Amino acid sequence: MLSALPEAISILLSLEGILVLMLGTSLGIVLGAMPGIGSTVAVAIVLPFTLTMSQAPAVMLLLAVYAGSVYGGSIAAILINTPGTPQSAATCLDGYPMAKRGQAGLALGWATVASVCGGLVSAVVLIFAAPQLAAFALEFGPIETFALILLGMTCIVSVSTGSLIKGLMAGMLGIFLSTVGGDPILGEMRFTFGNWQLFAGFNLLAVVIGVFALSEVFIRASAPISNVSELVTFSGIELPRWSMWRGRLRNLGKSVLIGNVIGVLPGTGAATAAFISYAEGRRSSPNRAGFGDGEPDGIVSSEAANNAVTGGALVPTMALGIPGDAITAVMLATLTLHGITPGPNLVQENPTLIAAIFAGFFIINLLLLPLGMALARVAAPVLRIREGFMMSAIVILCALGIYFVRGNPFDLLVMGCAGFIGFLLRRQGFPMAPLVIGMVLGPTLELTLRQGLILTDGNFLAFFTDSPIAFVLAIAALLALMIPIVRNFRTSKKD
Amino acid sequence: MFKKIATVSLGCLLAVSSAGAQDFPERPLNLIAPFNAGGGTDLLLRGLAPHFAEAIGGDVFVSNMAGGSGTVAASALQGQRPDGYQMAYMSVTVSTIQPQIKNVPYGIDSWTPICSVAASPTMLFVNNDSPFQNMDDVVSAVKEKPGEYVFGSSGPGAITHLTMVSAFAGLGIIDDMKHLPFQGSGPAIKELTAGNIQFFGDTELLMKRGDFRPLMVFNKERVESFPDVPTAAEVGIEPPLNELYLWGGLFAPAGVDADVTAKLEAACEAAIASDGFQEFAANSGTVLNYRGAAEFDAFYREQYEANAALIEAAGL
Repeated sequence: MLSALPEAISILLSLEGILVLMLGTSLGIVLGAMPGIGSTVAVAIVLPFTLTMSQAPAVMLLLAVYAGSVYGGSIAAILINTPGTPQSAATCLDGYPMAKRGQAGLALGWATVASVCGGLVSAVVLIFAAPQLAAFALEFGPIETFALILLGMTCIVSVSTGSLIKGLMAGMLGIFLSTVGGDPILGEMRFTFGNWQLFAGFNLLAVVIGVFALSEVFIRASAPISNVSELVTFSGIELPRWSMWRGRLRNLGKSVLIGNVIGVLPGTGAATAAFISYAEGRRSSPNRAGFGDGEPDGIVSSEAANNAVTGGALVPTMALGIPGDAITAVMLATLTLHGITPGPNLVQENPTLIAAIFAGFFIINLLLLPLGMALARVAAPVLRIREGFMMSAIVILCALGIYFVRGNPFDLLVMGCAGFIGFLLRRQGFPMAPLVIGMVLGPTLELTLRQGLILTDGNFLAFFTDSPIAFVLAIAALLALMIPIVRNFRTSKKD
Repeated sequence: MFKKIATVSLGCLLAVSSAGAQDFPERPLNLIAPFNAGGGTDLLLRGLAPHFAEAIGGDVFVSNMAGGSGTVAASALQGQRPDGYQMAYMSVTVSTIQPQIKNVPYGIDSWTPICSVAASPTMLFVNNDSPFQNMDDVVSAVKEKPGEYVFGSSGPGAITHLTMVSAFAGLGIIDDMKHLPFQGSGPAIKELTAGNIQFFGDTELLMKRGDFRPLMVFNKERVESFPDVPTAAEVGIEPPLNELYLWGGLFAPAGVDADVTAKLEAACEAAIASDGFQEFAANSGTVLNYRGAAEFDAFYREQYEANAALIEAAGL
């Protein structure tokens, strides 16, 4: 495949290639930054345009929009505390406090550099190690995935700001919400009360937007009038100076690695990676004490990981023909429409196309830096709009985005209710990130647990005795739970 | 010459009889994909829409209403006015299987079938390094080690599940096997490659996604691309379990005016026959299968009854 690289690069550097890369990345950043329009919707919006394009540019456009939107999500998360998608929910945790401190530009700078690093490394990994990583992905059956998700669930502990008990309760609520709808093994309906609108369960995006964005609007609306002018000041991205990176590079490297590995495993995704990486940063970063109050390492952990997923998710897609997530599934469908059958022979049969895709992906991630900075400058005046207008605009955008995804008015009702309940819970000091983690990880946890029990004839212990990977992951989960408790115990003893 | 006269007079006849629906369509038509944008159904509809618009002489747009294995869109459509402006592309599962296993507000009589668009037979396949060369191998292996072998599906009640049920219930070994449902065909194909499941069944297009070997096809006769693969009937599976197609077509709510139905049917036929759509289908591996309204209605009702037996066998 590497021998096809020169020809591939000549495709990319044609007028059409450059236009597609620039426009696609910009559009992705803008769509990702709009609350309610996530990566999946962004990719779906441009899909019809690819039908008339030739093979390489068509896939490139989708990739550019994909990578751009994952980065763009961080802009809204940091500036208005509204994650456009679940995958940037973890970015809010430190990004928004930092922005409120008056360092919005710097917060975005950290996010941008972290995103670019994550994306670039994942592109390199994709180019050189796709077949090996694909073989690794095959090692992850239902049982191993269950153990990984179990480890992910322990993140609830580390993102429970304030009260651990309230965090766990929010997490349980998230898991419960995810069980509404069709039973994944038997197909029967659960908790729908015969209402067909609930057959598909609660829309994850509607709930996430509700509990983060809408509840934020309610909180601002209910605040005393003197606080009204508290919107963040922002005049453009400020890149962190080299000296600021001292003591943070290890955390960056770890986050990129976590994003890559999780991205490779089908059925997990960017939100999982961002939360696991955030939790790991909170556990091991030398600056962990500041997590949750606007610590740059928190932003770096989340953003480096979720952008590294983009390249990782392409590994099983390109090497095995198995989509890593909903977005790569759309890409596979596009390839099919252009007369290419995705599968294990894809790379051998279309070396130039694949080389173009991989090289293009690298260029897209390079473009994130200049385009992100330029577009954030455009976004800056928007933030100076009076808060009331801004909040109304957020509500409208959220509603439009949610309606657009499934065309179902019921989702708007879900978003509204989630917003109101999120508002009540947040006023009582319940953190919302655990709820999102529960809802994101809950379905996979349940599915893989029950699949595993089918495979082992109901023997839960066999999960860990038969699979060394699952055993190691389970030990890691146990440690992740125990270490904070032991630490607390020690500090209280010292006092 | 005679042909021309016949066409013209037939046209006049139609024009006279359809005076009430003469102005149809007066506003844009909506084709509903009951699945997410970017999925197979969505792309098929988006490929069809421009040709449909050209044939009917009006605007056509595609919208998505995903959820509940397609039942959310179907449930929403069934109560709408049957004016022919709204149609959904429904597959065999959405129209004939889901209403028999779920408490949805629609059933066999809720629709005016307009036309069928595509139909592909399903195949049962194994990994290429599997020891099984034919179904006899499978039957003897399963009988030797009951409870050992696992078949996958893309979800309970999906066509992939029914393919497995037809195969193994048809051969009388389903009680000695385990069923592992996944969420979609992609993860199931991955586990087939990895060896966590031994059998899976889907259309030829999906089978080609991996390094797999087909053991039988649920078609009336052998398929051209795999002349050595026996049909289910040859393997010894009795009707109605021996034929299984992933088919789909356009449905409007029940009670559409016959003239409007005729117009839509004609537009559908012309769209499917158009060069542009034929090329699209060839590229995307879609096996086209046009049936007109009356024929499709009969086919749909027959499938609805036949699938009841399958659902019983699947224990759904």
